[in-house]
Amino acid sequence: MAVKVVTDSLGDIPSEVAEELGITIIPVTVLFGTESFRDGIDLTTDQFYHKLMHTKPLPTTAIPTLSVFVETYDKLAEETDEIAVITNSHKLSASYEATLQAIGLMKRKCRVEAVDSLWAVMAQGLIVIAAAKAAKTGASLDEVVDLTQKNIPRADVRMVFDTLDYLKEGGRIGKAQAFLGSKLRVTPILGIRDGEVFPFARERSRAKAMDYLYNFASGFSHIEEMAVEDATTLDEADKLVERLGSLFPKERIYRAKVSPVVGAHVGPHVLGAAVLGDRG
Amino acid sequence: MAQANSVSGQDLREMFVAATDWLEKSAPDIDALNVFPVPDGDTGTNMLLTMRSSMEEAYRASDYGASGIAQAMARGALIGARGNSGVILSQIWNGLAQGLAEKESVTGSDLVNALLRASTVAYKGLSNPVEGTILTVIREAASAAQAHAATVSDDVVSVMGATVDAAKESVANTPSLLPVLMEAGVVDAGGQGLYTILEGALHYLKGETEQLKLRRPWMIASSIPLTAKVPQMVGVEEVPYGYCTNFVIKGQELDPDKLRRRLEKRGESVIVIGDDSAIRVHIHTLDPGDVMHYVVPLGTLHQINIRNMDEQYRDFLEMQKERMPAVDIAIVAVVAGDGLHNVFSSLGATAIVPGGQTMNPSTKDLLQAVDSVASEKVIILPNNKNIVLTANQVQSLTTKKIEVVPAKTIPQGVAALLAFDYEADLETNAQNMNKAKSAVKSIEITRAIRSTRLGGLDIKKRQAIGFLDGDLVAVGDKTDAVLNEVLARINLDKAEVITIYPGADTKPAEAEQVGATIREEHPQLQVEVVQGGQPHYNYIVSVE
Repeated sequence: MAVKVVTDSLGDIPSEVAEELGITIIPVTVLFGTESFRDGIDLTTDQFYHKLMHTKPLPTTAIPTLSVFVETYDKLAEETDEIAVITNSHKLSASYEATLQAIGLMKRKCRVEAVDSLWAVMAQGLIVIAAAKAAKTGASLDEVVDLTQKNIPRADVRMVFDTLDYLKEGGRIGKAQAFLGSKLRVTPILGIRDGEVFPFARERSRAKAMDYLYNFASGFSHIEEMAVEDATTLDEADKLVERLGSLFPKERIYRAKVSPVVGAHVGPHVLGAAVLGDRG
Repeated sequence: MAQANSVSGQDLREMFVAATDWLEKSAPDIDALNVFPVPDGDTGTNMLLTMRSSMEEAYRASDYGASGIAQAMARGALIGARGNSGVILSQIWNGLAQGLAEKESVTGSDLVNALLRASTVAYKGLSNPVEGTILTVIREAASAAQAHAATVSDDVVSVMGATVDAAKESVANTPSLLPVLMEAGVVDAGGQGLYTILEGALHYLKGETEQLKLRRPWMIASSIPLTAKVPQMVGVEEVPYGYCTNFVIKGQELDPDKLRRRLEKRGESVIVIGDDSAIRVHIHTLDPGDVMHYVVPLGTLHQINIRNMDEQYRDFLEMQKERMPAVDIAIVAVVAGDGLHNVFSSLGATAIVPGGQTMNPSTKDLLQAVDSVASEKVIILPNNKNIVLTANQVQSLTTKKIEVVPAKTIPQGVAALLAFDYEADLETNAQNMNKAKSAVKSIEITRAIRSTRLGGLDIKKRQAIGFLDGDLVAVGDKTDAVLNEVLARINLDKAEVITIYPGADTKPAEAEQVGATIREEHPQLQVEVVQGGQPHYNYIVSVE
């Protein structure tokens, strides 16, 4: 029986890709006040960003209740006896912790391995995609977990921000607080280092930030997977994909939308590029 | 227990039990914030222990009404209070209990009254209340609760929600009220602790038990950025902090007010609270023996706790380092003008040496700045062509590793500073910054101090003259006209960003007008006017 791969919606994996590769995505909840929405289920991405830009207070996010994790695993256990769960960084949410607890509460007997990817957004997504591809070609659970562990240091991501206000408000700013309070208008470029948000660069214009993303991707000597994700700026993402096409076959670049649960923390105008590969 | 109109005594107790568990999760993070009034041990841990003592007493209460529970909590907090924040917290519970006197359950308006009372009592307990601390947070939270109940809803959960929101905002704002927090780039630890307790209570009221179990409280980020003043704190304030001394006196006919007055002569951050049978004392003193000697005859001493704050301060500095990107490189910039000073600080310059065209700092000035920063690796941004050579001299006078990025203008310095990479080493950073500075064009507009002929231009004294990357290219009577003339020499179609720094002598309205004109003529450009405040130069402009 093939290994089933599970992740959470912080990985921003497009639903058609998840479907094709048989990836199960546990939706994280977005809360506007007391209204709660399951990421990608009760609220489409477009509806969410409209709400994000037009309502106050800002939304918060919460991982689902333990029972959702347990039910998901139990259901999969009807079809398989090996499950790999790849979560977002434990420094960004409690998904990993909840996964460990949920495994202990399962009713069905099934081997479940949890891996903390130490990433989020499409860096997490690409690691999960690679795991699902391996599972599809018949890799065992141990092989999938081993591959995932090896891929964690091979992934990287950069995101161009319009504002750091959302990140600051949501409490996930991490070391990027070094970029707060600039007296000049700058375009911050953040990523993730050691599982938490890290400040990488500041550019004076969006156009220069696009150059930065291109240079980031061109820093890889071998690219295995690549993704471009945006929240509301599709045209800009298209242009970035065009440019990155000189580094990696355009048609193989995954196009992702920053999911509401991530969007609640990064704001409506982020644009990012993620790469799984090797440098120098 | 979602959406109840009032909270019963037992719910009040369970609510604060939940809040205590919630606080426990972030106590170590709160400990790491500690800095005020001097690094006073472990605020998070102290508040947690105070809360535990409170809750233990609440379980012993014979009266299960809200009033009985609140009074038991206040009693437990008084006896179990630790540290500065714990003592103030116990005063807050004391006020809360007074506000809830004779109440069986707590409605929204009861909560408002209790919070207001708590704020008043907390302020009264201190001989010298300081803003930007837990005091400000309770006060602002209480008044937000009052406003919310009066205008939006007096539902108890709704009021609590407004209280928590206001507390959060208040905590984020503490650094702008208290310079020591601003310097350290942290929010007030006691304020964060109080916010966390209130937030935990709110989660309970909303029935979010799953959240309480699985999530962690978030630490509030300072609304003011961590400027690079942190390293400068090291070694600068060599004043010893002495010993944080805490104890309880039990006896008869004790007089808290008299004791407070006496102790104020023996130390700082004195807090004395209690009644005629039990008094809790918190004091920072260089000689705890002297304090003990004075209080021993008054009664019996309990829960004596004396800690060395200098040791704690060193630990604090270590913890601080972990919160920021691990940079061991400092940046020293030469800048004149308040506005430009702020620009460079906000972008991460570690130390600023005042100076520029007419006030060239000496090598010694630069060396002092280099010595004052904690880092062993330092990048110097001279930001003026007359200072580059001076900066180059510094390396021969220090064992620290110096790189001079020879920025000759302010725009070049800003471009270089923005290119700083938290991950890269000293050499790579110097290279990248060097490259970045060359990508910007600098325009400087000033007035001629004498008549001369230069670069084919006849210049009269006091006329406006314009430089492009150091070359004199335009002269005229009006500064804005000269600026436009210089801009006309640049192909602005290829530019993306123009930043205008008006000088100290330039009228803001004129500067705005200059910016508006450029925006009109080149709508594709991002034009920004940022107060520079530099002397002599009417305008400094960068074109990228």
